Amino acid sequence: MPGEFIEEGKAALPADETGRTRVQEFWRLLGRNRMALAGLVIFIAFFLVALSGLFLTSGKKPLFDPALVRLQEKLRPPLARPNLETLAPGQVPALGVYLFGTDDLGRDVFARMLQGAWVSLTVGFVAVGISVIVGICLGGIAGYYGQSRIRADHVLFLIVLHAGIVLLLLWVRPLWAALVAGGLWGSVLGSWWRKVWKGLELPPRLNVLRKETLSVDTLIMRLVDIMLCFPSFFLILTVVALLPASIYNIMIVIGLTSWMGTTRFVRAEFLSLREQDFVTAAKALGLNDLRIIFRHMVPNAIAPVLVSATIGIASAILTEAGLSFLGFGVPPPHATWGNILSDGKRFIFDAPWLTFIPGIAILVVVLSFNLFGEGLRDILNPKLRERHW
Amino acid sequence: MTVRRVLIFLPAVLILFLLQSYFWVPTYEQQTRGNPRRLHEYITASIGDASILNPVLSADSASSQIEGLVFEGLIDRDEELRFRGRLAKSWEIYEEAYFYVNEDALVPGLGKADAAQVVELIKGAKKTKGPWSRALEASLDLIRDISIIPPKEFRVLKKVRTLGGKGREGQVEIHVRAPPRIRLTLGKVDQDLFRNLSCLLGDRYFSSFRAWKYLSAPPDLDGERLKALGREILPATTHNPVVVFHLRPHVKFHDGHIFDAGDVKFTFDAIMDPKNLSPRVADYEPVKAVEVVDPLTVRIVYKRLYSPALGTWAMGILPEHLLNREALEAEARRLGKDPKNFSIRQSAFNRHPVGCGPFVFRRWKSDQFIRLDRFEDYWEGPANYERYVFRIIPDLLTQEMEFYAGTIDSYAVQPHQVKRLSKDRRFQSFSGTSFGYTYIGYNMRRKPFDDPRVRRALGMAIDVDKIITYVLHGQGERITGPFVKQTDYYNHDIKPLPYDPEGALKLLEEAGWRRNREGWLEKDGKRLQFTLITNSGNDLRKAVLAIAQDAWKQIGIDVRTDLLEWSVFIQERVDKGDFDAVILGWAMGIEPDLYQIWHSSQTHPHQLNFVGFKNREADELIVKIRQEYDHEKQVQYCHRLHEIISREQPYTFLYVSKWTAVLDKRIVIREVDEKGNIHYRKITPTKTGDYTFYFNRWIKLPEAPAFMAEG
Amino acid sequence: MLSFIGRSVIQKVVTLFFVSVISFLVIHLAPGEPSQVDPLNPKFTPEMVERFRKEFHLDAPLHVQYYLFYSDLFTGKTVSWKDNRSVLGKIWERFLNSLPLFIVGTLLTWTLSFPVGIRSAIFRGGIYDRSATFFSYLLISIPGFFFAYILIIFVVTRFHVPVIGMETFGLSVSSWVHVAMDRVWHLLIPSVLGATGGIAVLSRYVRSQMLEVEGQDYIRTARAKGLPPEQVHYRHALRNALLPFVTMFGLILPGLIGGSVIIESIFSWPGIGRMAYEAILARDYPVILTINFISAVLVLAGTFVSDILYLIVDPRIRL
Repeated sequence: MPGEFIEEGKAALPADETGRTRVQEFWRLLGRNRMALAGLVIFIAFFLVALSGLFLTSGKKPLFDPALVRLQEKLRPPLARPNLETLAPGQVPALGVYLFGTDDLGRDVFARMLQGAWVSLTVGFVAVGISVIVGICLGGIAGYYGQSRIRADHVLFLIVLHAGIVLLLLWVRPLWAALVAGGLWGSVLGSWWRKVWKGLELPPRLNVLRKETLSVDTLIMRLVDIMLCFPSFFLILTVVALLPASIYNIMIVIGLTSWMGTTRFVRAEFLSLREQDFVTAAKALGLNDLRIIFRHMVPNAIAPVLVSATIGIASAILTEAGLSFLGFGVPPPHATWGNILSDGKRFIFDAPWLTFIPGIAILVVVLSFNLFGEGLRDILNPKLRERHW
Repeated sequence: MTVRRVLIFLPAVLILFLLQSYFWVPTYEQQTRGNPRRLHEYITASIGDASILNPVLSADSASSQIEGLVFEGLIDRDEELRFRGRLAKSWEIYEEAYFYVNEDALVPGLGKADAAQVVELIKGAKKTKGPWSRALEASLDLIRDISIIPPKEFRVLKKVRTLGGKGREGQVEIHVRAPPRIRLTLGKVDQDLFRNLSCLLGDRYFSSFRAWKYLSAPPDLDGERLKALGREILPATTHNPVVVFHLRPHVKFHDGHIFDAGDVKFTFDAIMDPKNLSPRVADYEPVKAVEVVDPLTVRIVYKRLYSPALGTWAMGILPEHLLNREALEAEARRLGKDPKNFSIRQSAFNRHPVGCGPFVFRRWKSDQFIRLDRFEDYWEGPANYERYVFRIIPDLLTQEMEFYAGTIDSYAVQPHQVKRLSKDRRFQSFSGTSFGYTYIGYNMRRKPFDDPRVRRALGMAIDVDKIITYVLHGQGERITGPFVKQTDYYNHDIKPLPYDPEGALKLLEEAGWRRNREGWLEKDGKRLQFTLITNSGNDLRKAVLAIAQDAWKQIGIDVRTDLLEWSVFIQERVDKGDFDAVILGWAMGIEPDLYQIWHSSQTHPHQLNFVGFKNREADELIVKIRQEYDHEKQVQYCHRLHEIISREQPYTFLYVSKWTAVLDKRIVIREVDEKGNIHYRKITPTKTGDYTFYFNRWIKLPEAPAFMAEG
Repeated sequence: MLSFIGRSVIQKVVTLFFVSVISFLVIHLAPGEPSQVDPLNPKFTPEMVERFRKEFHLDAPLHVQYYLFYSDLFTGKTVSWKDNRSVLGKIWERFLNSLPLFIVGTLLTWTLSFPVGIRSAIFRGGIYDRSATFFSYLLISIPGFFFAYILIIFVVTRFHVPVIGMETFGLSVSSWVHVAMDRVWHLLIPSVLGATGGIAVLSRYVRSQMLEVEGQDYIRTARAKGLPPEQVHYRHALRNALLPFVTMFGLILPGLIGGSVIIESIFSWPGIGRMAYEAILARDYPVILTINFISAVLVLAGTFVSDILYLIVDPRIRL
């Protein structure tokens, strides 16, 4: 395929000649790449902070209440002591000091940063999770079934299947019941397809239905092309501006607009893996396709996906901050680092900490993700490994 | 190694080239103090660009700011918010009232009376003191002239749902033989005229007029429809207020053309032309006709009583000679477009306006600046500033930095900056109450907001004074009702809701809401729970959202919040009435016309009374206010209406914010008296808080002057 | 070759068609209406709103609207709803404003990434490599607007010169050198900000390409032959590592009409990004859709050009 950039990562990680396992080798290499290690450490620390933030800032009476407004205590600098006379007992911050100061409504920035850590992390992870799942599925299908062609009856089948599921979702409440019913409907239709339709002799006129059209690969790659035609930040912005803003919409939109790269890697990996012996062997053993794909091929193709996912989380956090700047970020009551930063920028001359604390926090976390991702790329790519000559 | 050298050389050269440009750029110092021309320019910053510079077509504030300088209206408001003549030297308002002679009615003392008899009766009553009430006497005194319009016959085409057409709309031709009509010319507009006259002519003289009798329509029209048509074609009584403007002679447009009455009529026609899609149609819809009496007199006749009408003539007047049909056709031909579809909307005029205001349009670079120069032939004498520049700087922070550096003279100062800037000795600051208020509106169709006690309690739980002190930095005032605070219409006797969470709880308890074990308010096992929404992009509303949520949580109400993008917010939630409570603001006009926002007929989807406020007495007052031309009476009605609204609390009226302007101290007012002596005066806001009122007299001096009085 | 070109053109046209359909649907099915149809303005009666809808064909079925819009677009008749100006004219004006930013940004990206990337590949693992890695990631990890504000505040308070806008406002000097240099200065910071991401990514890419090539056998051979390392790096390795970058020239194309909203609004730069953003907020459908269409055309043209370049440059591919 001319003109397609296949990121360099080639994945199969064989146990090398020294006999170390892949995992041991990984740690050895990581230990040598100090920047990546630092990235990982910060990443883990961030994760722990976010997790503790989740517990410390939620509930009816949280230890740190990020939504508690104390107007008289607004714009206090970091490490300022609260003015105890003016505060009701419930309003005194847990640490007895405003660790990161207060914002324009007198809310404790430390509490907001704690809460924001979790929200930012969720935004990053869910968005990237969506893009990775979509990417692996579509890339896997394109790579594995690439050459098989779509027939008109396949399309009909899919339409009937999806129409059924959508109707169920619309009419059946609650959601889980609809999902269960949808699953049932899918399996019934699927078995009907396999048992009845395949064996059915069609009258010649209806044979049109079994005429082959596009290949799956073409279809998916054209879909990728179409998606790549939209300038991504603008697509996100358009959709976020047009849809009601909510944290879920933002995660979904960021996810659904960034799966194209993953699809391409996975497809390229699959195209080469498909020809390898272990896949042929698995096929010969009569394993079913799903098993081959998910047990045997995906683990071998995952390396570049991991790398791009790590960097993707970083860029999702930045994207959210950019959206916040334009006023389309995650809406309150959720605090994210992005919206703390963009709310704070108005006060950059009066209260610089409102800009610098979240700004630097984002910088550090995003940097750690990027460095870790970069290290991961180096480690997982045997070609790029350091050689000693 | 050449390759290597090139690789290092190229970026180095590029970067050096970019960096050396620093030495060519004038510093702020050179641009401001070092630039004598800077004193003659007034530069203001805005976050958004204008869209269309035509007063007839634009609806955004940036455009109207420019239009205000380029165009001139017939009238405007003076320091006391009274009307003041601009292009119109003077004006008078009187009324022509008509009624059809009701040939079947029994007039007291006359029996069935024809037109002449009725006229005689009124004339007689006017002359002699009779046993009638003061009101009727007053009405009679206003009558200047009575005349009879003889019966006439005409045909009208009406679109009606006919019976035969099975509910389809069809054209029906109706033959009308109108009875004689009597015209009363009144010295002043009198909305009670016919009510008072009916004391003279019989209680049911007007209401029993059977208009349909004079209509002959196809037989398939049923009775009710015919009656409705009759009322429409031959209304028993008609008020036609008339405004006559006497125009100022020798006023010139910027291109030297002389302004006259034709331009006024043309502007009105341009608004009403459906091709132009003017957003101002609603303002001028009550106008029946604009007549050019002579080049300096325009007579405007209204279809019905509508007191806010006069204010609409503050709108800028378009030059007819540049936009009339011939001019547009010529332009269309020049551009190779179809002259038939070419309207003012398409014309290049909108990006290059010509008016007769104090400043002449010069240049507009989209999203960069709009430049105006003063008009030397301005009828009031040229402005002091030679140039007015409207710079577009979309980021508030960079605006502030440019202001600090002195490259812009004014910008929209944020409340939190005021404190810092007013300490700076280089600046003078003004503030005044603005015309808009912020409120929390409750959807009164939904429980629990149908109970006024709940609404009041919700309002009492919020410490508005604290919001004003801390969120608005003192740049706001409390407000208790929907009128502009600095006008007489506002009822200052009404006290704002106190901040009293305990009292709120008590009120809620009366309404049946009690705290449960977890501390939430509950009634019949259901928690008091709702969602408060507002639009994104407004930091103050966002702050109020957070504060209200927190305040209500303190008294045990479980409030969720949501921020929505403006058009989604309006179209999906507010318009459809799909909300519990909203934080919004109204920008008010000075006219006390509350029909669209508070009348009970306006509660349908897509109408502005989206909270669903319905009150019989309020409805009556609203209609009376918009029909009353007498200021004192209007004020009286408004005070009563204010009381009702404040009692019902359909909104929690939060605050009216203060605008603040910060200017360089060197900007002063310069005036020349008759003897030619120059006086400098400090800029002071007018009583109503308009500091730019004397903008044409402003000038920037090289040094800040010291004024005696202020020290 | 010809058949490849033909096939690829057809493919691109089909893709373009789908892009146009999807963007049209996204915009029209989303809630909200053009701001001209603002119902919360008391001046707009429902009849007015209806009239506007009719004027904009918003009352027509979607496929009719689709047809009307794209037939207008191809005949160049599309006008913006906001101010009735021709959309293509507006875009052209903005394009000219964005162009210098794009050119300087691209120049910076391409001239800086190569030396940085090559050097870190040569000294891989060394202090230079590591600090280059660190700094390039540092640059792309800063939230753009945060960085922009810090830079602006720094420059304005330190050097007392204006940085926002396309030129110093109301510049009164007449010599063209001054004017040109003034414009260059105003380009500097926004284009540097716009280029940081590109520099970081591209220099990393250069580095990995170089490393890949340096691992090849012929480089070892060259080394073994005893050629000076300079020559090995710059003559043998670089030339082959450059190959994929030639094709990347095509991928610059879409950047022509892109433009960062954030940077443009902070620097009050009247570019395309800001216009598109404002159009989205005002629901000015013709502007949004036209920009979208043009950028899709540029993306497709870009991939097409890079395919062709690949064909020309890489002797291994023959069709």
